[in-house]
Amino acid sequence: MATNTLKYTEQELVVGLKRNDRAAFEYLYDHYSGALFNIILKIVRDEERAGDVMQEVFLKIWKRMALYNPEKGRLFTWIVNIARNTAIDATRTETRKPSMVDVNDRTVHDQADSTERPDSGQEELRALVGLLRPERKQLVDLAYFQGYTHEEIANNLNIPLGTVKSRIRTALQELKQYFAV
Amino acid sequence: MNIEAYIASGIIEDYVLGTASEQEKQEVACMSHIYPEIKEEVLRMEEAMEAYALKHQKAPSKQLKANIFAKMDFDNGPGTEESTDAKIIPLDKGNTPIEHNVEKDAQVASTRPKWTKMAVAAGLVLALLAGWAAYQLKALNGANSDMAERMERMEVELAYNSALADLYRDPSYKMVRLVGLEKSPESSVSAFWNDSSQEVVLDVQKLPAVPAGKQYQLWSIVDGVPVDMGVLDSDFDKKILKVKKTKPGTSAFAITLEQEGGSPTPTMEEMYVMGNV
Repeated sequence: MATNTLKYTEQELVVGLKRNDRAAFEYLYDHYSGALFNIILKIVRDEERAGDVMQEVFLKIWKRMALYNPEKGRLFTWIVNIARNTAIDATRTETRKPSMVDVNDRTVHDQADSTERPDSGQEELRALVGLLRPERKQLVDLAYFQGYTHEEIANNLNIPLGTVKSRIRTALQELKQYFAV
Repeated sequence: MNIEAYIASGIIEDYVLGTASEQEKQEVACMSHIYPEIKEEVLRMEEAMEAYALKHQKAPSKQLKANIFAKMDFDNGPGTEESTDAKIIPLDKGNTPIEHNVEKDAQVASTRPKWTKMAVAAGLVLALLAGWAAYQLKALNGANSDMAERMERMEVELAYNSALADLYRDPSYKMVRLVGLEKSPESSVSAFWNDSSQEVVLDVQKLPAVPAGKQYQLWSIVDGVPVDMGVLDSDFDKKILKVKKTKPGTSAFAITLEQEGGSPTPTMEEMYVMGNV
């Protein structure tokens, strides 16, 4: 499958997607599948299953594209929500251990990942880690990449809910400053 | 509303993280529709999180893309929306064992204990309940988005009405009623004139829709001479329109229909409303 080299603005991309244009969907896949797959994998924690979920997610995006309303926010926010919710649903139907144990477990797992198996983009990640304090980054990642609610994070990490909220808020403000063009 | 306090409440972060409840999501969507500052904050936060996510990539297997695209039909589109599929699945799952049981029941009916029939009945009830729940959920979702739309409209109305009420209450503004002339007897516009600062705002209650290539223009009459007060935004319904300042000694206001961009002097035959101070 040819990787298309066209560059789209967000607006052009949305127009193409809504027109069911193959090149637009290829661009969407090439551009965002890595970020989506990372989130899915963090939630389902199994490469093969994550591949299945990724397929489900992308087909959902394709089928629901008519429902996306650019007025309500950026395309990426919309597709991330689909990815996160589909992945969480996939773990629910599997009925594994309760999510209570999971948070701590996953946290440890994540840390192990980043120290033992450095993969591509790791240098950039290091820059980000320097940007966000570890205790804040952990909370942002649990919420954004793994879809935990603030209450779940507070309960599982034994941190007061207010602290969770304020740390996440600070972290997001820092990210906003950092990425502001 | 205090927009800064709203932004500082952290609800936008929840919205962008996906941790906000459905109701909060609707609310933020509404608010960002009404207040540009909130929309701006949402967009900047979304952009930051997008950039953050793009720095954390893990590529899926190469084969996956081909598999996915093989399932997509770019000639005919995705067909009917599939979100109902997910809700149908539990029904199917419920049905399969039932059919199976019914068959067996027919073969060995006499040796079957009573509980199998009860299980079948229970299965049926469950299947029906699941169907009913799915139906209710769909109806609820529909009601929810209707509600959001209504709220959006109400917010806009409210902002407009309270701005109007403020003008009526403000003693520094004098209200001048511009009534419809022969050209358009049903037209009606209110002008609020602050006779110390000379500021003027308009509230259009009724004016005919603007024909293409034309625009309404407001005039004030000062010492018997019409003074240009600027053209009106053609989307004037339920809005408080700000126009140019007038001059001391204004005796009347009038609106004419002019070519787009306005004219240096009013076309008298095209005068729609007028009101004396």
